[in-house]
Amino acid sequence: MAGLLECHALSKKFGAVDAVVDANLEVTEGSVHSIIGPNGAGKTTFFNLISGEVSPTAGRIYFKGQDITGLPSHQIPHVGIARCFQRTNIFPKLTVFENVWAALFARSNAGALELIKRVSEFGEIRDKAQDIISEVGLEKKLTERAETLSHGQQRLLEVAITLGGRPTLMLLDEPTQGLAPEATQDMTRLIQRLAGRYTILLIEHKMHVVMAISHWISVMHFGQFIAEGGPEEIRQNQLVQEAYLGTRR
Amino acid sequence: MRERNIYLIILAFILIGPFLQPRVTVTEMLIFGIVAVASNIMIGYTGMLSFGQAMFFGIGAYVAGLLLKAGMPLIIAMPAGILFVLVLSIAVGAFCVPRTGLYFICITFAFNQMFYFIAYSWTDLTGGEDGLAGIPRPSLLEDPVSFYAFVAGVFFACIVAMKRIVDSPLGLIFQTIRENPERAAAVGYNVKLYKWISFTIASTFTGLAGTVYAMLYYIVPIDQIHWLKSGDFIFMTLLGGTGNFFGPIIGAIVYIWMYDTFALFWGRWPLIMGVVFVVVVLYLRGGIVELIGKVRGKNKRTQKVP
Amino acid sequence: MSILIAGQVLNGFATGMLYAMVGVGLTLVLGVLNIPNFAHGTLYAFGAYFTFTIANWTDSFYLGVLIGPLFVVLMGFVIESQGVRRLYGAHHDYQLLFLFAIALILQETVILIWGPVGFSLLPPKNLAGGVDLGFIVYPKYRLALMLFTATIVLALYLLMTRTIVGAILRAGIENREMVKVLGININKVFLFTFGLGAYLAGLAGALSTPIWGLTPSMGLDILPICFVIVVIAGLGSILGAIGAGIIIGLAQSLTTIWWPEASNVVIYFMMCLTIILRPQGLFGSR
Repeated sequence: MAGLLECHALSKKFGAVDAVVDANLEVTEGSVHSIIGPNGAGKTTFFNLISGEVSPTAGRIYFKGQDITGLPSHQIPHVGIARCFQRTNIFPKLTVFENVWAALFARSNAGALELIKRVSEFGEIRDKAQDIISEVGLEKKLTERAETLSHGQQRLLEVAITLGGRPTLMLLDEPTQGLAPEATQDMTRLIQRLAGRYTILLIEHKMHVVMAISHWISVMHFGQFIAEGGPEEIRQNQLVQEAYLGTRR
Repeated sequence: MRERNIYLIILAFILIGPFLQPRVTVTEMLIFGIVAVASNIMIGYTGMLSFGQAMFFGIGAYVAGLLLKAGMPLIIAMPAGILFVLVLSIAVGAFCVPRTGLYFICITFAFNQMFYFIAYSWTDLTGGEDGLAGIPRPSLLEDPVSFYAFVAGVFFACIVAMKRIVDSPLGLIFQTIRENPERAAAVGYNVKLYKWISFTIASTFTGLAGTVYAMLYYIVPIDQIHWLKSGDFIFMTLLGGTGNFFGPIIGAIVYIWMYDTFALFWGRWPLIMGVVFVVVVLYLRGGIVELIGKVRGKNKRTQKVP
Repeated sequence: MSILIAGQVLNGFATGMLYAMVGVGLTLVLGVLNIPNFAHGTLYAFGAYFTFTIANWTDSFYLGVLIGPLFVVLMGFVIESQGVRRLYGAHHDYQLLFLFAIALILQETVILIWGPVGFSLLPPKNLAGGVDLGFIVYPKYRLALMLFTATIVLALYLLMTRTIVGAILRAGIENREMVKVLGININKVFLFTFGLGAYLAGLAGALSTPIWGLTPSMGLDILPICFVIVVIAGLGSILGAIGAGIIIGLAQSLTTIWWPEASNVVIYFMMCLTIILRPQGLFGSR
């Protein structure tokens, strides 16, 4: 059965640097699929290829059977993929509410005439925004400017904005980046809650998180996928241990 | 609602202004108030610093002026001027908007100067260095009071319209582009398209103000289309405060007041403007609005959920 | 007719080299500090006016050209260290606006000091008059100007490509963060670059005086040309700025033969063409 997302022989060169080499990946609908690998392995570049920030030098990407290779980044949310970034990428001076509202509005099918209405008149979007913000646990910060949030809260906002894209597939790039253990647990629980309703492709460094929530794991090393399998398989895989797990975080 | 209060203050200013300052001065304040607010849609809301807005102001003035001189009624001359600027801003925007930051500034600047030189050289059409003179006012507006009422009406209508625009989803989209263009694209907005829209809206309203300006002194002086004027527009916007929709109106008022107070007595008055500009840039980047905020001891605003 | 064209080609080169010099000054500051220096035009003007005053005072054009631009460098140092530097933390639009405000102040200062009427400055005695080139008799000064500016440009090129200072500048244009990481004092780099840009502007202004004279608006008039050069050349390209300067100079001169009124506008049409056909500039890579 074809995967929700399929990457065939994806490659990206930056000049002389091979960032991603002949990468094949298949993500099953409804699963939590993690990508792990040492720093600089090419994981974020791989995400960038899928989300259109960067175009591949070779290879093709299929989503729901449709070829989306090279689609510009602003069209990707409209096919059903939303992504969050490793480096917090929010709208600093807008409120938490506005951050999520903007993501939701982009995906609403508002016609040009709708633009005459005030932001406050879009009741359905407002309600959905409040739902998402509550889901990630930021309801107390609804009207605060995003730049005033703590790092952990901003990571949650990252996920909220991604949810605002009403995606089928979520690309989460190190959502627990820089989070203390307790915040990491909150984020892990959040992702577990989302797991049923969304297909999740996850880049993570924290092994305990990856092992706890993933259905399937792909291991990337020097831009190539060197192994994949369920958590137990990967834990015991020789290649992976040499390349990566030997330097356990 | 606070917004109602602001409109009341504006209304009060419109009514009382002519008793505090010469009527022509207040008229100019209103005209440039439109320009400053329009420029802020690009500068403050979308984060695009254009050094070429004078070209739209000037061209709006020239087109309306020429049509009025040709005997056209205002009902044709003004919309024609606005339409011309609208189409032109779409065309110029196509060149400028795909560039970001520094490049955008350089290109808008250069375009401004191109139109200046066209105006300068095409003396048969524009009057060249001497400007386009002898622009008639429609008979209905010959009386200073009726002209003032007309300008006040146009000003109010423009402000309300632009406020509607920034309160709409479009305004929020512009702000996402200012805050984080990469993320704005990642959530699904065609950033170039929206920047283009912002550019067009700002430039068209600026051109609209220009069409009115043509009738103020019955002449369009060529310096209204010079790049220095673009700098004046930025100065007004910044002086008032780019973080607030109404702020630039204050900037326009203060700028015109400064001009009328100093320019008549000292040919070197731009030096004063330069010094004020330096002070604002170094110490008061939020403009007069920030000053007012400090005086009232307010903390950072948090907004209510609409 | 062909004498006219030949003359205009030579004129085009002469003006082109001046444009190139002032354009390179702007490009350097733009590339390394990432700011369009709106005060660049007024620095050009001050170069001319300082030279005029010193030349009249010492009765030597050469001394004027030698010392005048040095004062402009001083101005550049003051502007960068006292003003621009304070704004590095802020959004870089503010640095730009600061320089614009400085341009306003300097522009008026020129008139305050030297008055609203223009001046003329004669070339030095040994460069006055014409030289018979066979097909045309051409002003000696302009020939000397071309040689001299070519030398300066060559020196600049050597500086940029053969010296450590040049390497640092080029690195700074490519990647400012990297330069900081390498432990180089970025403030010194910025100060030096700004000063160098000011020197080129001032020198160009000084050299331009026998050809165009001095007018208070000369600073305002040259700035748009600098921006057109930057757009045509492409951001960060020094060689490109030189090339673009010469191209513009030639375009202006040659247009004067057939359509004088368009000679000012033609460079903007060229700019539009460049944006359409090759948006990154003729020589740009970014």
